[in-house]
Amino acid sequence: MLNRETWIEIAHTVTANPLRTALTGLSVGLGIFILVVMQGLGFGLQNGVQQDFGDEAKNTIWVRTGTTTLAYRGRQPNRYVQLHNEDEDRVTEQVVETPASSGRLRMWGSVVQYQGEQGNYPMVGVEPDFDDLDLIPLTGGRWLHADDLAMESKVCVIGENVINELFKGRPPIGEYILLRGVTFRVVGHFSKNGRWGNSMVYVPLTTMQRLFQGNDELGSMVLSTGDEDLEGSSAMVDAIDSDLRLRYAVHPEDQRAVRVRDNQEDFAMFDRVFRGIRLFIWIIGGFTLLAGAIGVANIMAIVVKERTVEIGVRKALGATSGSILSLIVIEAISLTLVSGALGLMAGVATLNLAAPYAQHDYFTNPEVNLRVTLTALIVLVVAGALSGLFPALRAVRIRPIEALRYE
Amino acid sequence: MLALRRIEKSYPLAGGSLPVLKGIDLDIEQGEMVAIMGSSGSGKSTLLNVLGLLDGFDGGGYDLDGVDMAGLSEKQAARYRSQFLGFVFQSFNLIAFKTALENVALPLFYQKVSRRQRQKRAMEMLGKMGMDDRAHHLPSELSGGQKQRVAIARALITSPRVILADEPTGALDSTTSSEVMGVLREVNASGITVIIVTHETDIAAKCDRVIRLLDGVIIEDGLSSEVVEPTANGAGPV
Repeated sequence: MLNRETWIEIAHTVTANPLRTALTGLSVGLGIFILVVMQGLGFGLQNGVQQDFGDEAKNTIWVRTGTTTLAYRGRQPNRYVQLHNEDEDRVTEQVVETPASSGRLRMWGSVVQYQGEQGNYPMVGVEPDFDDLDLIPLTGGRWLHADDLAMESKVCVIGENVINELFKGRPPIGEYILLRGVTFRVVGHFSKNGRWGNSMVYVPLTTMQRLFQGNDELGSMVLSTGDEDLEGSSAMVDAIDSDLRLRYAVHPEDQRAVRVRDNQEDFAMFDRVFRGIRLFIWIIGGFTLLAGAIGVANIMAIVVKERTVEIGVRKALGATSGSILSLIVIEAISLTLVSGALGLMAGVATLNLAAPYAQHDYFTNPEVNLRVTLTALIVLVVAGALSGLFPALRAVRIRPIEALRYE
Repeated sequence: MLALRRIEKSYPLAGGSLPVLKGIDLDIEQGEMVAIMGSSGSGKSTLLNVLGLLDGFDGGGYDLDGVDMAGLSEKQAARYRSQFLGFVFQSFNLIAFKTALENVALPLFYQKVSRRQRQKRAMEMLGKMGMDDRAHHLPSELSGGQKQRVAIARALITSPRVILADEPTGALDSTTSSEVMGVLREVNASGITVIIVTHETDIAAKCDRVIRLLDGVIIEDGLSSEVVEPTANGAGPV
């Protein structure tokens, strides 16, 4: 089917009217260009939001508290609901079954000093399980141990930004830094995504509570849902939420005082939203491409009309309907595929060129993946085949005698 | 070889139909050189198209090499055309963007002959037509006579049993017409049946047998010496 003669004929069709071919190709190329760029923008938005999620595990529940907004059981609003270690103990021992949990305490803008260098970084007190809950990818040393908490050790695990800014290329493991004026030994370091991920300084929760708080207050709690599905994790959320509202007398409708967030549900929601966005983009891009394919179909219809006599001659010389049909369909596919591939390359190049200038908190790495590219190519082939099919069927229906009489 | 039995053919018209062939009975044997003559609208081209399986018929029967051609599918008709028949058209109908060699080789492409063989046989055929030095020229670079030689070479490349020529000299001057008729005679001399539709007495006179049509009916069928009157310039049966 795809032999030298076929390609010569395709080349002839394409070069016989270069302006017409170029304009038709432009419409297809532009269609796929718009589709690719829009897909890239969609992915950029998705990447930005996912980056905001950081490397958090999906199967986690985050518990945060705030100020009450509604009066309840004789208590006035504007009361701050403070979490304590006992809340974590109660929730994990009596309310839900969880394979991992951690209290969390964060102090923004903590001054960190090392050999004359200094910077402000968030200091976060956590428990050993936090490594699994927030997915801390260690790049050296070790994570915090249970012994560190038991002994309230002054050890820390620092992010990549802290190393780069304070250590200037020196190996940090075993080095001592001043954290809010207290000496801590660096036992590990990590690199992770997220807006703040690489600037964190993790210390044992108990050490932080004793040195900097003087009490057992927690900023938040994070629990693993293990292998629970969305339904199971939702039940855990409800149980924790009810427990805390009961414990701190918070109105059931108060959305600010107790906030229990299911990461699994958040991921599912974002997944639904982005799936919808991608579908929308495919529909828009598909219609744009359809306009291009109609252009190709139009051109092929003109080509068939122009070559009516030739088709009759070919039939008289022994050409079958199948050979005529395949010739025209392959011409249409080739025209669509070549111009579409150019549009695809232009789209990918545009995204690659624009990517360094399009980084934002909620928008990063506008890109198209292999699946989108392959889908676009398949869509192109199908569009090309369909755009050639109808003119080809018309050509096939031409009887040789009618074609030979056609002038 | 070719046998038509009471062939009927009409073309639809608004509010009815126009009968073009009215019960044609015709037998043409292998190796004959036949001219079909008639005035405009007599049905001669339609008869040639029916014989060439380019057009169907409404009634009657047509046997080609002993096989009934009634009710052939388009694919079957294409196969018979490819195997048995070669066509020569008044306006040559060479494909404009193909060279003489590629035009001649085209029917072999549809017979799935290898590219090397196609080229070899096409060049041999052009050589027989004295056109090998024009093999790589486009039709636009050839004279009318050269184009028709290429067209005849294309018709002969599949070794057909029958050549059907529709006014093969209609677009040529008298000298070139004689040359082309000479070529067709040589083709016929090799045992191939040649059927020529013409309205030119001079051309018909160069055939062995002449069939004259009038209003879709054969009114004369005989040796050219019997059917064709010598013309003023002396042309007559060969």
